[in-house]
Amino acid sequence: MAILTAQNPILSARNLCVESVGAKESFPVLTDLNFSLEPGKILGLVGESGAGKSMIGRTISQYLPKGFAVTKGTLAFDGEDLVSMLPERRRNLLGRDIAFIPQEPLSGLNPVLTVGQQIKEHLLRIGLAAGENWRERALKEFESVHLPHGAALLEKYPHQLSGGMCQRILIAMAFASRPRLLIADEPTTALDVTIQARIVKLIAEMQKRDGTAVIFITHDLRLASQISDEIMVLYAGRPAERGPAKQLFSSPAHPYTRCLQLANPTITGPRRGLFILPERMPGLRVLKELKGCRFASRCPNAIEACTQTEPPLADIGPNHIAACIRTEKTPDIVPPPLAPGREIASARIHLNGEKLTKAYTTAWSPFAKRSSFKAVNSVDFSLGEGEFVGIVGESGSGKSSLARLVVGLDTPTDGRITLAGRDITANGNADRAYRREYIQMVFQDPQSALNPRRRIGSIVTQANEASGLHNSTRERMDRAAELLKEIGLPPDAAMRFPSQLSGGQKQRVNIARALCTLPRILVADEIVSGLDVSVQAQLLDLLLKLRDEHGFSMLFISHDLSVVRYLCDRVMVMYRGEVVESGRTETVFADPQHAYTRSLLAAVPPDDVNAEWSPVLAEAGYQVE
Amino acid sequence: MLQYTKGRPLPLWLKSGRVQTGLVIIFILAVCAIFAPYLAPNDPNEQNLLSILTPPVWADGGDAMFPLGTDSLGRCVLSRLIFGARVALTVAFTASIGAMIIGAFFAHVAGYFGGWVDWVIGRIVEIWLSFPPVILSLILMVGLGTGLRNVVLAIILVDWTRFCRVLRSEVIVLRRRDYVSAAQLIGFSHWRTITREILPGTLPLLITLMSLEMGVAIIVEAILSFVGMSVGSETAAWGQMIADARQNIYEAPFNLIAPIFAIFFAVFGFNILGDGLRRTLDTRLTQTERT
Amino acid sequence: MRMIATIAKLLVKRVLTAIPILLLVSALLFCILRILPVDPAAMSLPPNATVQEVEAMRTEMGLNLPLYQQYGIWLNKLFHGDIGRSIHFRQDVTSLIGSTLPATIELAVIAMMVATVFGLAGGLFLFYVRGTRAEAVMDFVSILLLSLPEFLWSLFLLLIFGVFFEVLPFTGRLSPGFERPLVTGFLLLDSLITGNIPTFSNALQHMILPCLALGIALSPSLMRVLRSSLLDAYQDDYIQQARLRGLSEKRILICHGLKNAILPTLSLMGVQFGFLFGGTLLVEIIYSYPGMGNLMVDAIRNADLPIIQGAGLTYCVAVLVISIVVDSLYLILNPKLRVR
Repeated sequence: MAILTAQNPILSARNLCVESVGAKESFPVLTDLNFSLEPGKILGLVGESGAGKSMIGRTISQYLPKGFAVTKGTLAFDGEDLVSMLPERRRNLLGRDIAFIPQEPLSGLNPVLTVGQQIKEHLLRIGLAAGENWRERALKEFESVHLPHGAALLEKYPHQLSGGMCQRILIAMAFASRPRLLIADEPTTALDVTIQARIVKLIAEMQKRDGTAVIFITHDLRLASQISDEIMVLYAGRPAERGPAKQLFSSPAHPYTRCLQLANPTITGPRRGLFILPERMPGLRVLKELKGCRFASRCPNAIEACTQTEPPLADIGPNHIAACIRTEKTPDIVPPPLAPGREIASARIHLNGEKLTKAYTTAWSPFAKRSSFKAVNSVDFSLGEGEFVGIVGESGSGKSSLARLVVGLDTPTDGRITLAGRDITANGNADRAYRREYIQMVFQDPQSALNPRRRIGSIVTQANEASGLHNSTRERMDRAAELLKEIGLPPDAAMRFPSQLSGGQKQRVNIARALCTLPRILVADEIVSGLDVSVQAQLLDLLLKLRDEHGFSMLFISHDLSVVRYLCDRVMVMYRGEVVESGRTETVFADPQHAYTRSLLAAVPPDDVNAEWSPVLAEAGYQVE
Repeated sequence: MLQYTKGRPLPLWLKSGRVQTGLVIIFILAVCAIFAPYLAPNDPNEQNLLSILTPPVWADGGDAMFPLGTDSLGRCVLSRLIFGARVALTVAFTASIGAMIIGAFFAHVAGYFGGWVDWVIGRIVEIWLSFPPVILSLILMVGLGTGLRNVVLAIILVDWTRFCRVLRSEVIVLRRRDYVSAAQLIGFSHWRTITREILPGTLPLLITLMSLEMGVAIIVEAILSFVGMSVGSETAAWGQMIADARQNIYEAPFNLIAPIFAIFFAVFGFNILGDGLRRTLDTRLTQTERT
Repeated sequence: MRMIATIAKLLVKRVLTAIPILLLVSALLFCILRILPVDPAAMSLPPNATVQEVEAMRTEMGLNLPLYQQYGIWLNKLFHGDIGRSIHFRQDVTSLIGSTLPATIELAVIAMMVATVFGLAGGLFLFYVRGTRAEAVMDFVSILLLSLPEFLWSLFLLLIFGVFFEVLPFTGRLSPGFERPLVTGFLLLDSLITGNIPTFSNALQHMILPCLALGIALSPSLMRVLRSSLLDAYQDDYIQQARLRGLSEKRILICHGLKNAILPTLSLMGVQFGFLFGGTLLVEIIYSYPGMGNLMVDAIRNADLPIIQGAGLTYCVAVLVISIVVDSLYLILNPKLRVR
């Protein structure tokens, strides 16, 4: 006789192994995974890219990428093994009992169908509506996710909506069937920080309403600890630590969890240094041969014994387990001291912008009138010698457009830019040549910023090619070796192509190219976004080190407030093309004046897990969607 | 320019079976074309009025002197096929190179500079495309007059738009890459940016398109000589052989099959080479298939 | 409705841009053919005409005027529907084109239908067998097919079905002895309207080979584009998301995959159908089909300038019409372009 209690897990994994199966060999991607999730609970899956967290979501749906397969173990949903289940039966569960929320809301909806057509298709399939009453039901679901004007929304196509709205629609669809399990794979990564806060709150609200169990996959430990009941930290396809969210966050037992936490800059309290994790996660090939702890090669606490055998997941407290043999040493890991602050108040002004405005117009055509919109509107700014100035704002705030004006990729429609005393607003040939001596840019996406057909050595010394100076192969190779040393890449990297480097290494090359001619000013556009926390910390550290050596100043554009707080001396907050607030970093973060700045800060999950996270959902002075 | 070249292994594209098949076919054709006088058993224009329309050697009444038989004027079909490869390959190579140069030039200028330059070039291409290529090449041949050089010229004038259209959209994609902006910031001139940053990116597509264009050029030449608007009747050309054979379709169907197969063989060679290159050089083109 | 308004706007814009294009094309045509070493005046006179007579004819035909004036006169006549008189056929070019154009349109439209059916079916099949051994084989076959242009297909089909098996007719539009109704000029349509079933079935038999040749030649490129557009669409998140909502693969293909993949396929079809219209020329010659292609080639062989100009312009108009139709279809199917 089966006794049904509330404690029966809705999802449980037993010794689950997933491998990438090749023609000759196969590599483990997930190793011996054990966990169970009770109804109504939220499990946060945290890890850096390559840790295997998304693979868990895919294993639940059994839509694994080509070449991957479950090789061992079971994954039971309500007692039934999803892996060995008949595909028809599993498909029947999907959308009804098991729902998914994707990472990219805009591409999660079909671009050629209206929202109404898509929600109708879903409602009819799960049998929640028949015939024409789907409309009524859809509007009810929209209401529950706080989407206003539902009727008008049904007629819209996804490209007419913002990412936040699309995500709400997808959440409405996911919760329409009152599912028992929801998998949210980085549901807010593609969204702005203020919208992220709202979406996370919404998921929590809906989850509470229906008593849904949730697997919340994210790279952000702070965010996970705010929303989850329990957290599992994954490292290289294996859980490093699992425990109740608050306990795990406030006293992490595994050194990796601790390092991850310390690699992330803080948003409140005193500024502290960042813990720099060396190297990166071992690749699949290395892992297969590895005998000891996966983290040993990067662990500050590793001893000889760590490299001998793989540590088992051991109990270290109630419901708290960690795969480490020296958990007692974990609290000893401390961040390095903060680099001493420099006095920059008296520095002379290098670069100055007055009432800068840039209006973009539509493509040239003799038939259509060109419409224009102001991406940057009457912005004043200045940059002193050796100073790091941060520009923060959400997408569409005009921060990247401002960067393009500063480096000369665009010419302002109005206003003035002066560089070391010379007016360079006109952006003529002479101005460009003059500007080139002073300013260089580091681009956002190394994938796009590095020519895939050039070798690294050729990329970093590209400036020589243009100037004609030191352009012999010998001189260029020497210079390339110097630069690579400075940015911490081995000299043989010069011979490689960008595709042979990791994301973090590419971004280093990106920086090295800008540094080649030793400019006085760097403009960096979102150069650490999309990188893992540990890589981000390495790069921030590198930038500070390079400043000490070369004394350049930097305009640092970012959507990540904590990074700007860590790195910059001054900060400017941009909203819809205008600067709404600017000042010294400590002042702005401690005592924000503008409503928009306040809501930006409130949207970031707090550093203290016990502090209440209360993102401002709307305030006068700026508009929310 | 930095040269880090060491001894390289066989490039990936050469390992593709498709590329190898294509190259072998083209090599065979090239040998036929270059050594035609030594390979052909007879003078392609010599008329043997005593033995007209003889069947191929394996059929009843075949003559070993004419392995593939003779046409209605008693000319050796095999010899005409071999000499026909000369016209076909000459047109294929020269016309595709010419069309590529013009098309690529305008594509890069239009895609790189954008604005009104792009608009004007776009409209010119549109005017060109409003003519079916066959019709336009026929009209051009009427204006230019027959002859090998004019055939090549007509094909170039018709087909440069194929390159321009496809390459332009590729240039626009590459133009938006940050490395192009980076090159400008570093002080590259427009010319240098195009040749050093954009052209290497469009090159795989360019080569692929060129291979496909060679096949197209062979077809167009065959069409023109089929309607008698290509090289003069004194030069053997495959299209002309088809036109001649059509008169005796019941008596000597093989005379028709032979040049059809020759054209097919050559075009297939260039197409399979192009397809192999497209796959191995990783060009994401969806619209180039024979358009 | 908004969609109709947007399409109307597109039509107006496209027709407006078509006018300068046609003007330029006509100028191009005029210039190319004026460089010809033939003298239209001498050609329109009997061979024994004197030099004085030719000179008088030249003045009368306006051939001594500057080129731009000649073009102006020609254009002016063109606007009044007068493309001139054929030198060879001694007939108005307008009526010559009027009597041959319907035949060509009939051929092209049916061939397009054949191409679309083969192309879509083949593309779906290629996509369906993706990742299997059959795909590699089919892919190879599609390249083989791609290497046979329409005029080789025409000859090939003619040899097989016309000469070897003698099952289908391959010359002209109608066998001798059949009554030819004339209402619209479209033979199939006319015979249906007049209820002349024997003529209809005979005409249909005549259409099979040329339409198959044109259609089959065009379909491999459509197949390949549809296949690759489908593969592209299946890379997108919304397909994965539809799977995760538990939709069946069949529904995903029809409602999500195809609806997106049809867009790039359609824009290629626009270009291809323009080419197909040109391809009718060869097919007409091979099947002795009395359409514009045969008229054009006859005119070229006889250096009959007015016909070349008139037929050239007609081909051009046809291509523009096809591209406008395809663009409107594209607009209907692609909401991104439709709603601002």
